[in-house]
Amino acid sequence: MRRLTRRQRIAAVALTVVSLLFISLDFAGGALSSARGGATGGLGALYRGTDTVIGPVRRFVQGIPDVADNRAELARLRRENADLRRAVAANAVDAASSRRLDALQLQAASRSWRVMAARVIATGPGAGFEWTVTVDVGAREQVAPGQTVTDGSGLVGRVIAVYPTTSVVLLTADPTAGVGVRDTRSGQLLLASGSGSSGMTARPLDDGVDVKVGDQLVTGPAGRTTFVDGVSVGRIASVRGAADGTVRVAVRLTAPQSGLDLVGIIVGQPLRTVRAPIGSQARQ
Amino acid sequence: MTISRIAAAFAAIITALLLQASLIGPLTFPVPVSMPALIVTIVGVYAGPGVGLGLGFVIGLLADLGAAHPAGVQALCWMGAGLVAGTVGGLATERGYGTRGVAGLAAALAAGASFAVTMLLAILGSHGATAWLALRDLIPVGLTDALLGLVLVPLIRALLRAQGVRVPRPGADVIGRVHVSH
Repeated sequence: MRRLTRRQRIAAVALTVVSLLFISLDFAGGALSSARGGATGGLGALYRGTDTVIGPVRRFVQGIPDVADNRAELARLRRENADLRRAVAANAVDAASSRRLDALQLQAASRSWRVMAARVIATGPGAGFEWTVTVDVGAREQVAPGQTVTDGSGLVGRVIAVYPTTSVVLLTADPTAGVGVRDTRSGQLLLASGSGSSGMTARPLDDGVDVKVGDQLVTGPAGRTTFVDGVSVGRIASVRGAADGTVRVAVRLTAPQSGLDLVGIIVGQPLRTVRAPIGSQARQ
Repeated sequence: MTISRIAAAFAAIITALLLQASLIGPLTFPVPVSMPALIVTIVGVYAGPGVGLGLGFVIGLLADLGAAHPAGVQALCWMGAGLVAGTVGGLATERGYGTRGVAGLAAALAAGASFAVTMLLAILGSHGATAWLALRDLIPVGLTDALLGLVLVPLIRALLRAQGVRVPRPGADVIGRVHVSH
């Protein structure tokens, strides 16, 4: 045990008195405000400088207990982000599907067709053809081979195989697909066949007919095609004559053949009234 | 007191305050550990009550002026801690306490100083300090101070033994004359 010297005892008493004086002065008012401001300012500048050096170390040490939590939080946020991205993508798909359904509904209503909406569930080679898609409706939904498939704006293809719950659709762009079409401007008939990614090519039944670039082509005529008549096939993109004198017409399809999602299968056409020959009623 | 000792003391005070504010305080939150108080007690143990007294007052007053509570509170309490550490520390050094012993003693005194600071602030009605807070933090502060002391004690001991900083040995007092007859 050390003993205090006389000077130390005096110093202790003096410093105690000074401390109590400081406490009294500062507690009563702002007598030490300038000293406090100077100390705070000086220490503040030093704190900033020190934090530049020590700050990263401190933050690293402070982060150690939260490493596991941060990993879990990061994983949770990643999952949440993925869910949100899926939701956004699903919303976009839903919006596109909604637009196609509207188009199908409008087309069905305007033509009095019975249209079965179907979603494309597989694409690619199938049933021995190159350009086919598989849809999620089949015999249970009264789908039958040969039925016309549309996307609401134009011809997509026709059903070539039907299973209980799915069907295979041959797209019009398939090289083996053939469609009888009619030029809506001139009324001339053409035979169109698929040409893969180029769309379709058509050949007029009569090489001397009047076809022009931009003419609208629709399926038809009624009773002469396996397709429902009057469905838009596309527009003439180019007309050129071959060396043998025949005319070849390139068709830009109305319905895109790639990226199909929602389509409509025309499962029933309106019953047609049996018309009497013109003038027969007058004679009766 | 030499210039080198004054410079060393000033450097120690500034370093202690900066480390407390930028490293120790944030890392030990919510336990209100005070590294400057611990340094005062450790220095007091090795350097004696005079140095502990002066260091405690200066570093406490500087810390007070940089804080929002009334100035003089920490100066008074840390000065008392340095004084007690210097007085009791003589016994510790005489008995040859090692690092752990000195760290434990210094931690107990520093925790007592922190308790006294909080109690004094509670008496003054300052910054929401209460006796319950002072009592609640006493043991956590003491334990953390002890751990911190295990690091600080060897450092401070080595620093105080460094050339130029070492406390000069007190001169021998003449207690009498002995006549030797041939």
